[in-house]
Amino acid sequence: MATDNNHDAEPAGTAPDPIADRSLSGPLLIATILLFGSLLWALYDELFAERPWKRYQEQFVRTYSAFLEKLGPRQAAAEKTVRSSPAFQKIEAQLQSAEREASPRIREIEKELAGIRERLAILKNPFQDTRARIAVLTYELDHAGAGRAKDAIRAEIREVRKGPFRIEGLDSGGKRVALTFDEMEKQFGDLKSREAALNTELARITAPLRDLRRQRSEYLADNLAGLSPQQIEGLQRANRDSKIEIRQIHVEEAGLVDRCESCHLGIRQSVTLTAADMGNPVFVSHPNRTLLAIHDPTRFGCSPCHNGNGLATSSVQKAHGNYRHWLWPLFPKENVEAGCLQCHFGDRVLDYAPVLERGRDLFEGKGCIGCHRYEGFDRPTEQLNEVRKEAQSLETRQKEARLEAEQEVRKGDAAESNEEAQKHYARAESLRVTASSIDARLESLEQRAKYLMQDQKKVGPNLKDVRLKLRKEWIPVWLRDPQAFRPGTKMPKFRLAEEEVRALSAFIWQSGLDGPAPPRQAPGNAAAGKELFETRGCLACHSIGQPAVGGEFAANLSRLGEKAGYDYIVRWIHNPRERTRPYCPHEKRDLGPEDYAKHGQPFVFDLQNSRCPNDGHQLQVQNLTVMPSLRLSDQEARDVASYLLSLRTNASYADGVAWMDDPRMAERGRQLASRYGCGSCHEIRGLEDAPRIGTELTKEASKPMEQLDFGLLEHKAKDEGWYTHKGFFERKLRDPAIYDQGREKAPEERLRMPNIALTRDDVRALNTFLLGSVDSPFYGKFNSIPAQFRYIPSDRRKDIQEGWWLVKKYNCMGCHTVQIGQPSVLSGLPRYQDPDWKEQLPPTLVQEGARVNPDWLARFLANPAISQAETNRNGIRTYLKARMPTFSFSPNEIRVLVRFFQALADQPVLHLAEEMQPLNSQERLLARALFSSEGAPCLKCHLVGDANRDRFATAPNFLAARERLKPAWTARWMLEPQAISPGTAMPSGLFRQDGGRWVFAGPTPASFKEYKGDHVQLLVRYMFQLTAEEQRQLLQKLPTAPAKPAGAAAGMR
Amino acid sequence: MDWAQVWEIVSLPDNIPIVAIAVLVPFYTWYAARQARATDRLIAQLEADPQMAKTHHRKIHPFRPGWARELPVWPYLLRIEFLAALVVTLILMVWSITLNAPLEEPANPNHTMNPSKAPWYFVGLQEMLVYFDPWFAGVVLPTLIIVGLMVFPYVDTNPLGTGYYTIRQRRVALAGFGIGFFIWLALVFIGTFVRGPGWMWFWPGQTWDHTRVVYEVNRNLPDLFGITNAWLQAILGIIAIAVFYAGSAWGIHKLVTRSELDRKIYERTSLTQYVVFQFFAITILVGLPAKMLLRLLFRIKYVLVTPWLNV
Repeated sequence: MATDNNHDAEPAGTAPDPIADRSLSGPLLIATILLFGSLLWALYDELFAERPWKRYQEQFVRTYSAFLEKLGPRQAAAEKTVRSSPAFQKIEAQLQSAEREASPRIREIEKELAGIRERLAILKNPFQDTRARIAVLTYELDHAGAGRAKDAIRAEIREVRKGPFRIEGLDSGGKRVALTFDEMEKQFGDLKSREAALNTELARITAPLRDLRRQRSEYLADNLAGLSPQQIEGLQRANRDSKIEIRQIHVEEAGLVDRCESCHLGIRQSVTLTAADMGNPVFVSHPNRTLLAIHDPTRFGCSPCHNGNGLATSSVQKAHGNYRHWLWPLFPKENVEAGCLQCHFGDRVLDYAPVLERGRDLFEGKGCIGCHRYEGFDRPTEQLNEVRKEAQSLETRQKEARLEAEQEVRKGDAAESNEEAQKHYARAESLRVTASSIDARLESLEQRAKYLMQDQKKVGPNLKDVRLKLRKEWIPVWLRDPQAFRPGTKMPKFRLAEEEVRALSAFIWQSGLDGPAPPRQAPGNAAAGKELFETRGCLACHSIGQPAVGGEFAANLSRLGEKAGYDYIVRWIHNPRERTRPYCPHEKRDLGPEDYAKHGQPFVFDLQNSRCPNDGHQLQVQNLTVMPSLRLSDQEARDVASYLLSLRTNASYADGVAWMDDPRMAERGRQLASRYGCGSCHEIRGLEDAPRIGTELTKEASKPMEQLDFGLLEHKAKDEGWYTHKGFFERKLRDPAIYDQGREKAPEERLRMPNIALTRDDVRALNTFLLGSVDSPFYGKFNSIPAQFRYIPSDRRKDIQEGWWLVKKYNCMGCHTVQIGQPSVLSGLPRYQDPDWKEQLPPTLVQEGARVNPDWLARFLANPAISQAETNRNGIRTYLKARMPTFSFSPNEIRVLVRFFQALADQPVLHLAEEMQPLNSQERLLARALFSSEGAPCLKCHLVGDANRDRFATAPNFLAARERLKPAWTARWMLEPQAISPGTAMPSGLFRQDGGRWVFAGPTPASFKEYKGDHVQLLVRYMFQLTAEEQRQLLQKLPTAPAKPAGAAAGMR
Repeated sequence: MDWAQVWEIVSLPDNIPIVAIAVLVPFYTWYAARQARATDRLIAQLEADPQMAKTHHRKIHPFRPGWARELPVWPYLLRIEFLAALVVTLILMVWSITLNAPLEEPANPNHTMNPSKAPWYFVGLQEMLVYFDPWFAGVVLPTLIIVGLMVFPYVDTNPLGTGYYTIRQRRVALAGFGIGFFIWLALVFIGTFVRGPGWMWFWPGQTWDHTRVVYEVNRNLPDLFGITNAWLQAILGIIAIAVFYAGSAWGIHKLVTRSELDRKIYERTSLTQYVVFQFFAITILVGLPAKMLLRLLFRIKYVLVTPWLNV
């Protein structure tokens, strides 16, 4: 009632007024308190709850300072040990004696300098003051008007110069002197020049001291593992002074802001921090400092490699991007290399990314590429399609031009006036010229097609040859479960019903070619075949036995005998590229002898005779296999085949396979074969142009989640937390039919992807590869990969990129070491562990580009035998049992490979051989003497082309050097072969340094006393000018029949 | 019953206002009704006792001796409003602390989200697209609703019931607005809680399945009678709509002239006012739900089918 301003006083004691009498103080108080509470809550939320990184920073500062505390004494002790080492003591002693020697003079100089500085300090003020006054007066004088005014100023200047200036303490007596300005100026100048002279002398005297001190600290830094106590102290100070604040990397030109280091404070610390050190894995150092140095975070940030939301700081989940609306969540640790792929799309082989590389190996090797297009893989097939399309459109244009020309001629004939007729004729002529100019372009397209057909490979064998190659009964057995017959095979297990197995078998059998059959072969010698198989290098790709020995690039051949026929295998081993019939892509069929006979041609087709007799188009004249020809003789091929077939366990298969000849079954099988995409990996009659049946995977990980069909498992996946790309891929790879689970589907609608035998690591590797397969759009500040970060080189690094695709395609790394530290498959085989066999390993190719002349390399790759006549051997290292095979590379591929090796060794693409300074007769005598001296018996190991001597040779012939090698490399090789090719039989330490030149380390012939030149250079020049005649002369000097020096090579090493 | 699904929808920060509406609207409706009933009782009391009516000045409280005749705005109204402001501020504070803005991924022009829903206050409009063509649901109807709300004061000739809660004195107005508001809320609720991927009808608790397939073939009214001729179709549609309007007008007229008071008010209304009122009432309050029911229950897409416009 208190506030009621009612004048008419009513009698008291009535009911209280529901509005006026109610006090709202209580509710208002509560609301106010709550509101204030919410304000406090908001402040707490703002300062702590939304900023979890603050707690991380506090924790880091605490644990890091404890860590450094512990590290300090440890490093101090380490430093003490270094300090007490003799080398350090020696430097210390030197330093001390030098200091002792120099110190009297230094003290003298310093004393004098101190006196000078004192006097300069006294003189400085009056002198500079007066000088300034004179300068002002001079300026006024310059700008003064008439003569009288000038005179007055001149007088004033004179007055000022005269002084006198009374100065105290200039000499030791400390009495006051009176000086004019000129005197003062002179004294000041004298003192200054004396000071400069003394300083110069001081610098001269202390120079050796400084040098020694630098040596001392360098020695300390070089020999002290980790940080010095001073550095640790610096870190401690920095840690103590560190503020709690957001730490971000801002790459302005990329619009990138990464605040990862607000929590991951240890990532770039100069000390290596482990989770154990820091008690929290958040604070560890980056595990790969080399990678971090290449990808400097100040330039690249963090998220371009690792993904995640670099801006977010409100929670771990947000920062790592593991929430629904962030499209680029952090790559899981085990798939971290997926990040590499985003920029290094073109790098088939990438340092520091072995898992990713394995993923790509699997993608290519297991034949995923057969069904799934992926940019960069299987390029020849795609280029071939483009070339064919282009050729087709050109042909159409040509035809049109010719037709139009004819019409123009007719128009010209019918023209009213002469002038008009001429116009039509001219037009007709230009059209005819156009048509004929297309011919040139067609010709070049035709050639490109030829090369591309040579490059084109399929993952699986040619199934047109099944009737010539396979046991009929074996086919259904294989189709039912390839992994059971041959564990680890590339052929995946299709989920086929028995009826489907039969239909497919029938189709494949009936679509096979009947002939011409390979010639009948006599049985070979299996024992010799075994030796050949194990030494020629077959095991670089193939494996044999169970457990398997050998490479996993190609099939395990243990049970070859249970499926294949002898005659065919002999032909295959002799030359796997040899086709039964050539295939004409234009007519879309295989040509037989009858097609050639129609045109009166012999049934001969190879790379030289690759045109179709019917229409002149390029034929496919090779099998689409990467398996090269090892240039074995017929007998050797028979031996190897006999060996392989002898391994059979004589398995018997069901006989009743008459249904395989039922044409109705074949028709059904044909539908199945195109449904399952058999034609993607195999060459099958009628399915040569079968398209890839799978989805393209180039950007698979960028697909919106909704487009990944989880089937009925979607909700389960969401509940269990694997509704992610990774979860999808992982389960699909392990069980390709998983997303059909529980769904009612007709057999022809079920998922087709077959079961691939993959280990856990394989799945991880493939998953890494797929997760990195993203299309990272540039969304301003929401970018994932700024365009300029991508590694798309255009210089020699591009050659390296392209080359690796071929190196992988043909498994060069099975025999050779291509990359530093990469072991070849052969080098891991039991046989090659024997020191004598180690010499039999194929050469390392790490510096191949620096070693060989690119022109020679191109010739060698085209024909590794070097000779046309004598092919059953290696061209250069004839002493090697392992054989460099003939891959029948197309010129395109040879070019890529040569450029690859050149680029790998940083060599120019165009090689112009240096002019060799000819040897004069004296030099030739010297070199010849050295070459055949007892200390350097070069010709003992190097081939000389004499069968008797070459029996024990382990090195190439010198005659090949001129064409093959580069002189600079040869010189380096002679000095340090072990560093270039570890394990080589070539001895190291043959030369020693003598002044500015290398001289032979062993006993030199007497004539060398006079020679002042470099011995290595002399030998190189000799080698590059060696002739067959010269070599013969050399040989005559040697004992005629060398006995195999037992362990000679090993001893030399 | 997929409780996870229910929770996912209900707990979405976007949907908080709608969940709040589901609680608040019934509560305040009940609360206002209680007040209105109290007023109505008072009105009855005053009507029965003219003497009392003369001395009574507060509109909702029966007169008591000793009370002030009038209460000033300050402090009696403002202090309550201030308290309300404090409480609303408190709610907003807590809301903004606990729930962050529901931002989503950067827009991707190649990928449309599914279901793609308007903000909650527009979901009702979006839901109307199911029942009408875009030009009608998106342009004509919203315009009619706004214009209808604007003409309210001009067609309302009832002098009673301003400044206090009452049901008795404003039956027609309350019913009209109540039905309209209910339709609007119903549309919002359907759009938010019932429409799932593909804008398909999922009963609450049913799992929102992206791959769900439904068999729903819509037909037009003329198809039911097998009429294929375009002219006949149009004529049939026009007749159907005319019949619908006539019937509804008759029904509404019956309703608005039910009581003595309503009839008095009706007499004060001019013909123009009444026609305008009838037009909006039929079109929005009856037509819209009628068309919704036709579509939902009988799968009828259009009533009027012409080559130019379909309703």
